[in-house]
Order: sequence, then structure tokens, then C-alpha cells
Amino acid sequence: MEPVQLKQDYWSYVKRQFKKNKRAVFSAWVVLLLMLIAVFADFIANEKPLAFKDESGWNFPIVRDYGVKLGISEWPTKWNNIKWAEQDYQSVIFPLIPYSPNTQDYRNAQFASPFEPQDIDSKRWRHWLGTEALGRDVMSAMIHGTRIAFMVGFVSMFIATLIGVILGSLAGYFGDERLKVSRATVLWLLILLIPAYFYSLQSRTHLLSKAIGESFFLFIFQLLISIFIFGLFMGSIWILSRPFKRIKYLSHKVSIPVDIMIQRLIEVLVSIPGLFLIIAIVAIAKPSVMLIMAVIGLTSWTEIARFIRAELLRVRNLEYIEAAQALGFSNLRTLFKHAIPNAISPVLIAVAFGIAAAILIESFLSFIGIGIPPEVLTWGKLLSLSRSAPWWFAIAPGFAIFIMITLFNLLGEGLTDALDPRQKR
Amino acid sequence: MLKYIVKRIFIFIPTLFVISLITFMLSVSVPGDPVEQILGGGGSAGEIGQSSSRLASEQSYIDKRRELGLDLPVFYLSLSNAATPDTLYKIYRKPHHDNLEQLIQLYGNWNDIQKYYHSIQKLDLAIADLKVDSLNADAKIGMRDEIFTLLNQYQPSLVQSALGRMKEHVASAPSMKELNDEMQNTLDAYNDMILNSTSYKNYIPKFHFYGTQNQYHRWITKFIVGDFGISYQDGRPVKEAVWTAVGKTLLISILSIILTYLIAIPIGVFSAKNKSNLSDQIITTVLFILYSLPSFWVATLLITFFGGGDFFDWFPTYGLGDEGDPLIDKIHHLVLPLFCWTYGGLAFVSRQMRGSMINSLSQDYIRTSRAKGVSETSVLWKHAFKNSLLPVITLFASVFPMAISGSIVLEIIFSIPGMGKLAFDALSARNYPMVYTVVMFSAVVTMLGYLVADICYAIVDPRISYSNKK
Repeated sequence: MEPVQLKQDYWSYVKRQFKKNKRAVFSAWVVLLLMLIAVFADFIANEKPLAFKDESGWNFPIVRDYGVKLGISEWPTKWNNIKWAEQDYQSVIFPLIPYSPNTQDYRNAQFASPFEPQDIDSKRWRHWLGTEALGRDVMSAMIHGTRIAFMVGFVSMFIATLIGVILGSLAGYFGDERLKVSRATVLWLLILLIPAYFYSLQSRTHLLSKAIGESFFLFIFQLLISIFIFGLFMGSIWILSRPFKRIKYLSHKVSIPVDIMIQRLIEVLVSIPGLFLIIAIVAIAKPSVMLIMAVIGLTSWTEIARFIRAELLRVRNLEYIEAAQALGFSNLRTLFKHAIPNAISPVLIAVAFGIAAAILIESFLSFIGIGIPPEVLTWGKLLSLSRSAPWWFAIAPGFAIFIMITLFNLLGEGLTDALDPRQKR
Repeated sequence: MLKYIVKRIFIFIPTLFVISLITFMLSVSVPGDPVEQILGGGGSAGEIGQSSSRLASEQSYIDKRRELGLDLPVFYLSLSNAATPDTLYKIYRKPHHDNLEQLIQLYGNWNDIQKYYHSIQKLDLAIADLKVDSLNADAKIGMRDEIFTLLNQYQPSLVQSALGRMKEHVASAPSMKELNDEMQNTLDAYNDMILNSTSYKNYIPKFHFYGTQNQYHRWITKFIVGDFGISYQDGRPVKEAVWTAVGKTLLISILSIILTYLIAIPIGVFSAKNKSNLSDQIITTVLFILYSLPSFWVATLLITFFGGGDFFDWFPTYGLGDEGDPLIDKIHHLVLPLFCWTYGGLAFVSRQMRGSMINSLSQDYIRTSRAKGVSETSVLWKHAFKNSLLPVITLFASVFPMAISGSIVLEIIFSIPGMGKLAFDALSARNYPMVYTVVMFSAVVTMLGYLVADICYAIVDPRISYSNKK
């Protein structure tokens, strides 16, 4: 078969192969459904009504809540600290589960069982999965926990993919010999590395740590500024080294052992017990979901890097890469425009399994009580509460974690079969 | 081959060095004060009482710190800024240290900041020596609260309001007049600090070398010769504690590995032999489910249902039993943990076994031996099994590090004093010597595991060669 022909319908071939695996297709649909639940969690389980009518007309408190968070609407003061369930409405529509994860139902505190009569006015107010010690509804916590599980899985794997693909492809593409730079550049790099670190990170530590406590976007903004400053320093190497290249000794090209450096870095990371690394980092900073995601991402990119490195070792010797180099394309252009797009597919497999692993790590951390702030209820934390609870309490959260992990493992298997027929068992 | 092994072991050295650095830096940055923990809340006791007794408790704190070597700078060198003095590490109370760092960030003039800090300390001692009478009791308590604010807060608004309230306290009772001078000193020092602000100094980088008199050097030189130090938690040598813990973890791990292979291999072979049959499909599904079951959920459920919760009280769920217990009692303790340890690995190894067996069965030599009339049993066990067993055995090398480092979560749930629990407890108690030792130990074992795995691959598959690299 002509390679060109194969490439043309590579993705449709992958799609066909993936569809053959019924279990994987089914998992994909369930994941989609769970994602919908995660996105609309506020509309499915909330103590506020979806809509209610009073003398001023129809009100939509949940939508209003979003408006307040976005800063385009204000929260009426008369709605502060009111018990939504006990108001007199002309007409009202409550969500499916009329409890927020933090709503405390004092009448049904101390683990009201889902199998026994509860102290409720009607079936509408039943706690379908019971309550915990303070009377918080388990079902509502489960639904909102879906959101955290997905967020942890996706965001941490996004970070891991970013790092893994960049480092892995640099190692695979350049190897130990292919990246050649002049001695002048190396010299300037050594000189500027410390100032670059100082001005981009060390002198900005207090700004960054303040931002991490305030909001996600502020932190990203500050981080981007730091990266920009670092980039400025690195960019100036290019200009600064130019005059020095006239000197014969300094213009001599040396090869940088990129592969060895990145391989050693991976070896260091996998040799330190992963949980120690995570627990130590999480203990240093203030607990937050974002921190957990960042830390999981920063420690789990090695598998992705290894995948893409192996793939690029193969791809870099193919004819079209040689052709690109012969045409005089720059290394970076060849790498990012031609080599990586043809090597990226195995990464999907690692990402699918990685999401399952990330969700497992997060629930484990919440289970031992590390890193997640006290007001956030996750599946792992629910499970940890079950140690001092009746037997039924441990079923739902554990089952949810199990289902989530199974789904992504099945997806990973389906992708393995579809993308990498050589590995097919 | 030998050359390759020697080369790999040499590469270990820089890797281990970097790991030791990361471990060290991370553990030191974890908040919390080990000295205060050892002295058992000595810090809070020091806040009350006369200045003489406070100075005494302060002295015992300093002595303990020196004894543990925590009074030294952390590393050989530091990269800081011109505003930060290279002796800042000498400020020993961590909250004070952090607060001073924030003040440096704001004002950048260490001399004035230092004066301010000392004036607060003097004022604090003066308050401690103040005689309590009916008029000043409230004011004295109020002053102490504000001192606490000053030592732990840096935001101008908070500091200024605290200073304002202190002035009111001093004016509130006649006997508080004794504090007038110290109070005025503090106010002056604070104003000087703000007026002479040189915050630009924060943007001038500065290197400082501390030489070999530092915590890292002290630790690593002892570590290399095998002196792992004394555990902060119970004063036992770390080596002893680690040996005990490794013993417990290894007991469970080895039993679990034996069980895993004993059960997994027949399942894998059976499954491969009946490939795509109903029985194979059922086995594959069950193994897949087992593989995805989070172990801490299974452990929680087992404890709830069989460990004397609402249902059966069949098995103990705490620890591994005492030293003198009869064997049967120990086995009794081991049942639940062993199950949790085994099922995940069981699923993994069975799946690998099935995969490699199917791979062998599809090879040409199997077809040849069938064609020449070898019996099916012989084909299966003599030809296919032998060849598919090797990759599964090499899995052992990657299982081994896990077997020694233990499982943090299962050891916590079942209260088994193994390596995982040891590491976790040490980290939460800021027991630095223990943390370093456990992490370095795991790292060495992991790297050896990878090396053994690579060597095994080469032995199993002669096509893999490490000696003549292209």
C-alpha cells in the first residue's frame, strides 16, 4: 500500500477500528453522559429552586448565581441566608435533587439511611443515597463530585500532555547528536540561566503564591508573565551570541545531549515514590483542587514522554522528515509541523489511562485527607467519611470512582486496539 | 553485558544525588517545626510566664535545634536578593522567619526590619514582666494578642491597626505606663522601616556560599557512611525503624506475590487456551473489573462487612498481631490485607500471561509441533508455556520496588506498621531523618528494579543487546 494513501484516511481508519470495540464505544457514551452531569451539576442538585414566582414575577436563582460569579449581576440581599425549601412561593420548580452538597438537613442528620423512612415532608425531599453526619445529602455530593473528578482528570492530563509531548519529542527527535548549537550560545545560556530564573521565578514567588490563593485565572496570568520574562532572557541569547560567533573558537558547534538529559530527568521522577512527591508538595502549599491538579500533572507526564519519544525515534528517520530537512526547514518547524503530528496518536492511549490514574490519585488523596480544602466534598472524601458510618455509606462513592476508572481504562484499551494494531493482544 | 551493568550503576550516582537534593529540599519546605514537636508544645508554653522562664524555654529550644543541626543554613549556597541578609536562616521560629521574609519583600531594608523585630521582642518581654493588678489584666492580655499579630502579620493595614490598639492598651491603666518606652521604640522602629524603604533591593540577585557547614552536607556525608540518624518521633535509630518496617512490608508483599503468580499463571494459560470462548470472556471481564477496583474502596468494604462493622466480625482489621501470638493468629490478621494486596496484581499478571500465551500459541513453531503430532498438552505446557512464562517473570523486577516500598493507603487502612505508613507518618510529623532515609531507600530499590528488569529482558530475548549501540 502507498504510504500516502494510508495517511490520507488514517483517522477514519482509526475511527472504524475504534467502533469495532463495542465496550469502548459504550464507555465513550457513558463518559459523555457523566460529563453532561458534571457540567450541569448545579442545575441537577441544588438547594435553590430552578425557578420560582413571587410578587415581582419569575426568578431564576441558579442562573443568577452564575451571573454573580461572572460579575454581571447582583445577588439580592433578601436572598441571603434564607432557607429555600421553607419559603412561600406562588409557584416553584426545584431541581431533581433539591439539596446542595453543603445544605445541612438537621432533621435527617447522623447518617439517615436510604433504606429506612426519613423525616421528610414528601418523596420529593427524600435523600436517595442518605445523608452524612451533618445531614448533608450524599446524592448531591456525588453529583457535584463528578465535576471535580472530571476536572482533575482532564486538567492534570492536559498539563501532563503538554510537558510530556514537548520533552518527549525533543528527546526523541534530537537524540544526543542532532541538536547542534555554537559554543557562544552555550556560553550565554549558562550565563543567563540564573538571572532568568531569578527574575522570572524567584523574585516573583510572593506574587505567584499570592495569586494561587486568590484565583485560578490570576495565577495563570502571573505564570504567563513569568514564562514571558523567562522567554525574553532566552530570546536575548540569540541576539547576544551573534557577535561572538565571529570568534572561531566560539562559533564551533557542539551537540547537546538532549536525550540523555531528559531521560535522566524521567529516571529521577520515576525513582522517587510518586505519592511522596505529591504529598510533600501538597503539604507545602495551601489545599486547593487546582494545586492537586497541577501536582498530579507535574508528576505524571513521564509515561506520555516515553510514548512520544519512542514514536519520534521511528518517525525521525522516515523519508519525509529527511525531505523536510533537505528543503532547509528549521528544526523546530520540522519537529512541530511534520514530526509531532505523525507521532501524536499513541499519546491518546497514555492520556486515557492517565485520566483514570489521576482520578484514582485524587480520590486517594482526599481519602487520606490531604490537599482538598475542607469545604469541598469529593468522592474520595465521602469514602473516607464512611470509616465512621453505617455500611451503606461506602458503596456509592467507591462505586463511582470504580466506574470512572473502568470507563477510562476501557477507552484506553479501545484506543490501543484502534491506534496501535501492533500492540493488539 | 557486564560493561553495561557497570555503566548503569555509574549513572545511578548523579541520579541519586539529584533525588537526594529534591527529597531534602521538599522535606525542608514542608511547614511545621520539628523542634517544637519534639519539645511537645514548648513553643506555646513559652508564651506565658515571666521573662526569665520564657528565656529558659527559649534556650532549651535553641539547644535542641543545635543538637539536631537545624541551626545551620540549609544548603552550600543560596541565591537570594540584596535585600535579604545571608543570616536570615538564624531566625529560628518559622512563622517569624516567614513574616520577616514578607517584610523584606515589602520594604527591603534589613537593618530597620531587624530593629523593628527586636523592638517587638523587647516589648514582649516587658509585657511578660508586668505585674498583674485589677486594672491592667485585660490590657495585658490584649497586648499579648497584638504582639502575636505583629510577629505574624506584615500587611501595613493589619500592623497599623494592631499598633493603634496597643497604644490604647498602654494608656488604659496607670501601671501600663511602664511599657511606654518600649512601645515608643516599636512605633519608631516601624516608622523608620517604612520611611527608609529600599524595596528595589529585592530585584538585585545575590549569591552566598555557606561552605560545608550546612544541613544538607551534614546529612549526606553521614548518610553515605550508613549513619541514618535518630528518629525525631521516638528517638530510635532510623535504621532500626526502617528494618522493622521493611520486615512487615516484605512479609505481606512476598506472600502476595507468591499467591499472585500461583493463581494468575493457571488462569492466564486456561484463558489463552480457550481464547474467545465463553469462559475466556467471563474471566477477561472479571479480571478487568478486578484491575479497575480501587484498593482502598475494597479495603473499606471488607472492613465494614467482615471486620466487625454492621455485619460479620470474622477478621481483625488492626495491625498484624503481636510478637508472641501463635501462627494461626497471625494468619488470621493477614487474610484481609493479603486479599487487598493480591487481587490487583493478580488481574494484571493474568492479563499479561494470557497475552503472552496467545502470542506464543500463534507462532510458527507451535503449528510445526502440532503438525508433527505432538500431543496438545505437550504443545501447551512444554512449548508454548515455557516461552510465554519468561516475559511474565520479568514483570517481577518491576513489582519488586513496590513490594519493598509498601502501599501507603493499604497500610494506613489496616494500620500495618510497614514502609508506606512509616513514610506517611514521618512526613506528617516532620521527621526529616526518617523521610530522607525512606525515600532514598525506595529510590535505590526502584532503580535496581529497573536495572534487573532490563537485564532480564536481555537474557530472555537474545535480540535485545545493550553492548553494541548503533
